[in-house]
Amino acid sequence: MSTPLSEAVDPGGEATDVMFSVRNMWKIFGRDSDKIIGTELERADRDRIREETGCTVAVRDVSFDVRPGEVFVVMGLSGSGKSTLIRCLTRLIEPTAGRVLLDGEDIGEATPQRLRELRRHKMAMVFQHFGLLPNRKIIDNVAYGLEVRGTPRPERYERAREMIEMVGLGGYEDSRPGELSGGMQQRVGLARALAVDPQVLLFDEPFSALDPLIRRDMQNEVTRLQRELDKTSVFITHDLQEALKLGDRIAIMRDGELVQVGTPEEVVGRPANAYVADFTSDVARTTVLTARWLVRDPYPGERTDGPVTEPGTVLAEVLPMLAASTAPVRVVEGETLLGYVGRDDVLRAIAEDQLEDPEEAAAIEEEAVEEMSGGAAGQSGSSPTGSGG
Amino acid sequence: MTAMTQPATAPASNGDPGDAGGEGGFLRRTWVQALLVVVILVAGYWVSRALGNPAWASGFPTAVGEWFMGRLDEIYAWIVVNRNNSPLFLYFLNYISVGLGSAVVLINRFLDFLTWPGVTLIGVILAWRVAGWRVALLVLVTFGVFALSGLWNESMTTLSLVFASVAIALLFGIPLGILAGRSERFYRGVRPVLDFMQIMPAFAYLLPFVLLFGIGNPAAAIVTAVYAFPPAVRITALAIRQVPKGALEATASLGSTPWQMLTKVQLPMAKRTILLGVNQTIMLAVSMVVIASVIGAGGLGDAIYQALSKVNVGEAFQAGLAIVMLAIAMDRVTGAVGRGTRESRIPENRRLPLRGALLALVVSVVAVARLLGVREWPLDLTVNISDPVNALYGAIQDTIGSATAALATWLLGNVLGPLADLLMNSPWWLVVLAATALGWIFAGTRAAIVSGASLIGVGLLGVWSDAMDTLSQVLVASVITIALGVLIGVLMSRSDVLAAILRPILDAMQTLPPFVYLIPAVALFTIGRIPALVAAVVFALPPVIRLVNDGIRGVPAPTLEAARSQGSTRWQLLTKVELPLARGSLLLAVNQGIILVLSMVVIGALVGAGALGNDVVVGLAQNQLGLGLASGLAIVCLGLFLDRVTQGRRPFRA
Repeated sequence: MSTPLSEAVDPGGEATDVMFSVRNMWKIFGRDSDKIIGTELERADRDRIREETGCTVAVRDVSFDVRPGEVFVVMGLSGSGKSTLIRCLTRLIEPTAGRVLLDGEDIGEATPQRLRELRRHKMAMVFQHFGLLPNRKIIDNVAYGLEVRGTPRPERYERAREMIEMVGLGGYEDSRPGELSGGMQQRVGLARALAVDPQVLLFDEPFSALDPLIRRDMQNEVTRLQRELDKTSVFITHDLQEALKLGDRIAIMRDGELVQVGTPEEVVGRPANAYVADFTSDVARTTVLTARWLVRDPYPGERTDGPVTEPGTVLAEVLPMLAASTAPVRVVEGETLLGYVGRDDVLRAIAEDQLEDPEEAAAIEEEAVEEMSGGAAGQSGSSPTGSGG
Repeated sequence: MTAMTQPATAPASNGDPGDAGGEGGFLRRTWVQALLVVVILVAGYWVSRALGNPAWASGFPTAVGEWFMGRLDEIYAWIVVNRNNSPLFLYFLNYISVGLGSAVVLINRFLDFLTWPGVTLIGVILAWRVAGWRVALLVLVTFGVFALSGLWNESMTTLSLVFASVAIALLFGIPLGILAGRSERFYRGVRPVLDFMQIMPAFAYLLPFVLLFGIGNPAAAIVTAVYAFPPAVRITALAIRQVPKGALEATASLGSTPWQMLTKVQLPMAKRTILLGVNQTIMLAVSMVVIASVIGAGGLGDAIYQALSKVNVGEAFQAGLAIVMLAIAMDRVTGAVGRGTRESRIPENRRLPLRGALLALVVSVVAVARLLGVREWPLDLTVNISDPVNALYGAIQDTIGSATAALATWLLGNVLGPLADLLMNSPWWLVVLAATALGWIFAGTRAAIVSGASLIGVGLLGVWSDAMDTLSQVLVASVITIALGVLIGVLMSRSDVLAAILRPILDAMQTLPPFVYLIPAVALFTIGRIPALVAAVVFALPPVIRLVNDGIRGVPAPTLEAARSQGSTRWQLLTKVELPLARGSLLLAVNQGIILVLSMVVIGALVGAGALGNDVVVGLAQNQLGLGLASGLAIVCLGLFLDRVTQGRRPFRA
């Protein structure tokens, strides 16, 4: 548990460079739940705690930082505590212990008035089941946040119209939520959150209730808005593909704990434990891992005149270059040469992809090497770079 | 299910061999145990009789009850003496009384001021705007009935009473409901009180309020408000709770204050449901206002009360018709508001001018009517239907009177009489034990305790034998109600045609105040216990039928399909799948049926059913408050007993 956490609590980040800072947060549901933390029982697993106290641990000792402008994805299966976690950030659910700092301010210390101020101005949330008010017109739904903070009607309508236009719902201002499809309703939810111009957007599985095609549209929409509006986002999902697509960093949650926090590449390429590895095993590595991930120094005597590429290129795009040339690809960032990626590196990544168990690939490779060095070079390797290993 | 797997030709398959297999469980069957209790009770009765009904083995000793009633009479005497100088009355209760009295008078004066054309016009316009022209026509006919039957003034008094009491009920009920909707703890606190209030028969409410407010319109308005307010609380709370959690969470996350959450989210989203609660409150108020004629409320109820005490069926019918129309019209108008089914087709920019025009129309009609000196409907323009109805009543009595009389005599002599005798003359402790045992058999330990305690309470109140008389009437009427209700309900669930015919009839019957059911019963069976019993059966039947039908129709289609695919006959389908799965509804039907029967049997005192209801009436009429109040409490005890025994092991919700 300590390894992924040390990664999560970024030592390089300074206080001003952090939008959300969560420290040792717990949420335990049930009577006298606050009496568990600090006792030896806090180390016990969920089932034992439930048996002995009747309390349910939803979030366990979670710490992480969210940097300004990034999309921080929390991913886990149902029951992993991710929805509770995001609600604790805005105190829709009161955390049992721990601190949440928003832009340096301790949310847990905020008075009800101050908390309302924060909710009205600094953060807004988008919900899985939209949470629209069926009795209000779309424009009044979008303007709700401005209405409760006392913005006069013409002003809030103007802003709401702008937002409705921005999420592509122009012309539906006077409809009721019931008349809209699920995807459109979630656009309304998005517009409502954006209308108050928050610094932080909290997404609680916003697209889980939508059809796959519409989900993809909405994901693109969020990526676009994120780029245009420069918001910080915390995004909850149970869909790994969605996490990889949207996340600058991904936190993987299991039974209330953060198992690993890292970039998509780190999570896929260097899973912290078997659980994460199992989780990411279905991901096509070639579409997630980039040249930067595999870069290495040249082998002695290797050709160094291969094609040039940027470190951000995914392996799927490096493959055609390698096919065109026997020399390894040169990875260049700006002016500096970071190193080389050869056929063997990419093949190894693909092999890990194809075989269920990455260790199996390593074992087979080792065996093959031994066999060859033992003199009995039975089957000649089809790849000329095979001898390089 | 074992029977289904057998070949269809097996002759024994209808004997249900699967269940009879477990002989060891024979005594564990509920109905066997209940039968055993009854057998023991009957044996006890015979033993006591053989011993010549000694004091220790017959009805409950009355000494405690007499002492209790004596104290109550003293309290009443004190109140009568001190009503005008005790601070409690002087500075509190009398103010309420005077205030309410004048509120009722004020509303009544206002309706008078509007004159009959004005009132009618306002009623019709309102109905048209909120419920469409059909309901407006119904309202017009209703006012027509008021006028033509010569009961215009009585109708206006009843309307004023209903308005005043509904206003009080909502004034307290809706805020309490909102509180209960928002606070779990408060909700848990008030729910048992509301549950209890809803099983209390209307008659039991009357006396305490007479004690505090005297006889007349103020007491009637308060008792009506108290009787009618539980649904306002309950349904408001339910409506607030039904607001989707997602909407609340979303609006909270945008920084709404609690007040903003209430006014912008919870109330708007709960509005429709709350209005349905208002509808129920109004309907309960209509039925109670009529019953409150017993404590001096004027109006249509009084007209029926007077007519019934003279056994003038024609007059009672005339006033009854006015009440029926009033109840149905009120239900349709307020129901339409709650359902919100009507979308106005008038474009928004024309609504304001339309409103202005309608207002001008009303004002000018009232002005003209007042200038012409029109106040109430001229009496010489009324249509007297009481004489023809009385003639018809005579004809009915001549043709089938002997038959109904014979039926009544038979029922009285062979069913009701012996049962009353059994309950009254068995050793009282055996009856209490039997009640406790039945409570335990049907509903578990807690119900057993409540049952036993309720019956002991009845005894301590000193009205044991009257209570046993009432109980016997309730039992007989309940058995008939449930048998008929299940039969008709099952038939209704089989046939869509029958359902389509019955449903509007049941709807209409359920909106009628219990009082009016006495009228046809008297027409057929004159007076006595039998007409009260018949009225109780007819009154309680509609909800029972409806619950049975809904329960059976609510059985999931896939389950039926699966049973049918395994080759069940229709009878097997009914007895092995539909009825068992509708168990919850059936239990509720039994429970509701019995509670309704009790409330009606007590009201039946007005047509000579005697027993507890009569004690209440006599207590009121002859200032024997001890007797009246004790009987009222005994009615509550009986209600509690009957409710708990039939509630089943698991709590269910209406």
